[in-house]
Amino acid sequence: MAAATQPGANPLAADGRWWRVAGRLYMAIGYVFLVLPIATMIVFSFQKGQFAAIPGQGWSLRWYSKLFEDGTLLEALRNSLIVSPLAATGACVLGFFAAYALNRFMFRGRGAFSVLLVLPVLIPPLILGVAFLGLLSRIGLQGQLFSVFLTHVVVVTAPAMAVIQLRLGQMPRALEEAAWDLGATELQTLYKVVLPFALPGIAGGWLLAFTFSFDEFIIAWFVSGFEQTLPVAVYAYIVGSVDPSLNAVGSIVFALSVLSLIGVELLLFPLLLSRRRTAA
Amino acid sequence: MTADMPPSTAAVSPMKLLGIGLPLLYSTTFFVAPLAFLVVLGFWLVEDFQVVPAFSLENYADIAQHMFAKSNYALAIAQSLWVSISTALLAVLLCYPMVLAIVYVAPPSRHRLFLMLAVAPFWSSYVLRLFSWQILLANKGIINSALAWAGLEHLQFTLIYTQTATRIGLIHYLAPILIVVLYVTVASIDRDLIQAARDLGATRWQAFRRVILPMSRTGLVVSGSFAAIISFGDVLSGALLGGGAGRSVLGSVPLFSNMIMTEYASATNLPRTAALAMILVLVMVVMLAAGAALAERGKVDAS
Amino acid sequence: MDLLSHIAPPRQVDLELRGVTKTFSNFVALEHIDFSIERGEFVAIMGPSGCGKTTLLRIVAGLEAMSSGQLLLRGQDISALPVHKRSTRLVWQNFALFPHLNVRQNIAFGLTLRRYNKAAVKTKVESIAELVQLSQFLDRRISQLSGGQKQRVAIARALVTEPEILLLDEPLSALDAHLRIRMQSEMKRLQQRLGLSFLYVTHNQSEAFSMADRVVVMNKGHIEQFGPPEEIYTRPKTHFVAEFVGSNNIFDGKVVDVQGDLIIVQCADAVIGAAVRERPPGKGSTVSLVVQADKVRSQPSGTAGENSLSAVLSGREFTGSQVIYHLETAGGIAVKMVVQEPFSQAERASINMPMQLYWSPADTVVLRPNIVPSIENMPGGRSYVALGT
Repeated sequence: MAAATQPGANPLAADGRWWRVAGRLYMAIGYVFLVLPIATMIVFSFQKGQFAAIPGQGWSLRWYSKLFEDGTLLEALRNSLIVSPLAATGACVLGFFAAYALNRFMFRGRGAFSVLLVLPVLIPPLILGVAFLGLLSRIGLQGQLFSVFLTHVVVVTAPAMAVIQLRLGQMPRALEEAAWDLGATELQTLYKVVLPFALPGIAGGWLLAFTFSFDEFIIAWFVSGFEQTLPVAVYAYIVGSVDPSLNAVGSIVFALSVLSLIGVELLLFPLLLSRRRTAA
Repeated sequence: MTADMPPSTAAVSPMKLLGIGLPLLYSTTFFVAPLAFLVVLGFWLVEDFQVVPAFSLENYADIAQHMFAKSNYALAIAQSLWVSISTALLAVLLCYPMVLAIVYVAPPSRHRLFLMLAVAPFWSSYVLRLFSWQILLANKGIINSALAWAGLEHLQFTLIYTQTATRIGLIHYLAPILIVVLYVTVASIDRDLIQAARDLGATRWQAFRRVILPMSRTGLVVSGSFAAIISFGDVLSGALLGGGAGRSVLGSVPLFSNMIMTEYASATNLPRTAALAMILVLVMVVMLAAGAALAERGKVDAS
Repeated sequence: MDLLSHIAPPRQVDLELRGVTKTFSNFVALEHIDFSIERGEFVAIMGPSGCGKTTLLRIVAGLEAMSSGQLLLRGQDISALPVHKRSTRLVWQNFALFPHLNVRQNIAFGLTLRRYNKAAVKTKVESIAELVQLSQFLDRRISQLSGGQKQRVAIARALVTEPEILLLDEPLSALDAHLRIRMQSEMKRLQQRLGLSFLYVTHNQSEAFSMADRVVVMNKGHIEQFGPPEEIYTRPKTHFVAEFVGSNNIFDGKVVDVQGDLIIVQCADAVIGAAVRERPPGKGSTVSLVVQADKVRSQPSGTAGENSLSAVLSGREFTGSQVIYHLETAGGIAVKMVVQEPFSQAERASINMPMQLYWSPADTVVLRPNIVPSIENMPGGRSYVALGT
């Protein structure tokens, strides 16, 4: 029996109830799988028992208070909240310059330049971690939070640049020309016209870069020392003991990430979905 | 695209210099140099706890000696290959129907919502997610204790510290990326083609096999290769869920990536670690090449 | 008698282009462009797409570099001056307004680039806004404006910086037809009121002809003709101009007789007389004759000395503002004629109806092959230049 032939209609829809039921069921199971660890983390951060199990032993905030008393994890969280925003900022600076240059100038080696900046994302972080440690220890820059900053900038510049490039690509060339024509120098045009235009892209790129840096484990593990970022400290904790405080810190991190990613969603998705060039 | 400043302006545009120069400088110093140095580092030695420049094959010789004995690197590499490839296959096999369901069952207005939900795991830290999996999968963890409480003791399992658990962690890590990539692939398949097949009397299954599947092929192969390579280089799932040397068909063998990490942690022999890393790179390049060859063959077959 | 009153004041030249050429690696975009614009003149550059008119405008603005030549603005050589230092201002087709600024800030942009007095800027912006009737829109966001309003903001933004010449790149193309026509007269009025030179690029003939004091017709990178609109319309100098401008009939033929200031030309089966200004072509030379479609008539009948042609009506074209009849002679010559049709359809001419056409030799422009070498005159190609040039 032929399906309805309206343009745009789902050709696999119409009848076929069983397929739909199967599809919905599969999706439900899939999403449960995806969401399970997060739900677990949040629920069990409020559980009284030392060992997570069902049935639980009642609700309590003891793990949150332990988190704040103990301080190791909190300190690591603080470290991450220092390094990652800085790394995201560094990535946005480099990413903006690169995106602007790629957008405006036709130069020899344009493709290679672009590839070079994206390459760090494609190389396994384990390799990068060893490599970074190698060079940094040679120049005495290893084992500090600063080392994490330096290396993270390399890795998160690519996503930041991608988002900024997306936004700059929407800028009509006449906009800069108009500014020049009216008497603005290149620098003036940059901060009076280009930067305001690129701002949503820069903000989205920053949030994306921040998220990637915040969660990054292996490179930080190699290059940091006594001052650990959060993933490194968490790892040490897990390997060392089973402590539900981790659920507490996880829930806090989750809340932070949700906030920053809602920001990304509000800024990024409109950019990604709008293909029209805004000609004022 | 923005406009090129005409040559009649004095000198070279400063933005051109800065825009290209600054990122280039940073990338060269902190990306290219470390990687180049890594290669060199593999030939250096450690004397009296100090890294000493040399040109020695001692690290590689030592590794070669331990390939099939003592540290058993070969087995670890085999374990890594086995786990990563099987994980990639499984991940693709599990995510593909998910994507098909989103594209063809879910109403189009909801696609964006479902994609965002699929990316949700990204909203929490990977390492913390693995901790959750730990307490979920532990022998007396959440799932097992829930089963006991429900009177289903016979369903209880011992998954923790096996490579199966590692796979669960990896698939959970890969799922968001795979779903997004596969969604883009499947969503771009022209609905008119499917419609045409259906009009010609094809059943759903036939339409899938003859139209959707072949057109998804490249996307499947590419995301599968991606998944394999990411899994191969991963350390966290293997360490936290696999227990460092998780049990698998090949035995309780650590993953090669975990091995590099633990060896560094215990011996802090950087040149040796660098040499091991180079071997990892080598295996990965081979995997990449194989993946590319598969993709090419897929393209030729499909055309 | 005051002798001085008979001497016109010297005309000032605002913009002068000398030998402006622009070549790319594989083709020539502009070839040796020479012309000048006088103070307060409205000059339109008109031509088909790809003729180089926009490139020329951008070179004057400084947004593109020329390969060779000179640009003089009010006597000063600006050839090497970067765009942001020139006192030319460009108005874009798609307005190029800054989306993050409101109307007032857009207009004030050019003024705020140097150290400025806020009060003075405010006054200037408000007076220019009044000039273009934007006073009540000053605090609106750009996205809230209509096309016509946006165009006026673009013009105000350029004018407030007191440029020495205003360059306009098809500024009305993005507007709908009736708004276009209204803006045309507004723009012309503004230009005359300011006494500012305008260099206006367009591909729309009626726009160019209704606004401009002089028109530059361009084709394939060079100037075909430069002069007042009536001259271009009634006295085309090249084959291209004759075909491109207005609705013209072009008859090719050979000169069979020369009688003083009249030449007799044989075109297929017709004999046509054409009035010549000076230096008539010799007997036997090949010429093209150009007759405007609205100079051809079927009534009243022709007088002595007028050309007469027998043709049959083969088609009728309704262009909205005119009705054009397409006719064909027995010898295969195609003729276009603008007509005023009778209101009732019954009285109108019908297809295949024979008609007698008349027009005056004075309305017949003569073009002859130009042997001066140019791109068009490569072996095999010919360009026709009118007599009397």
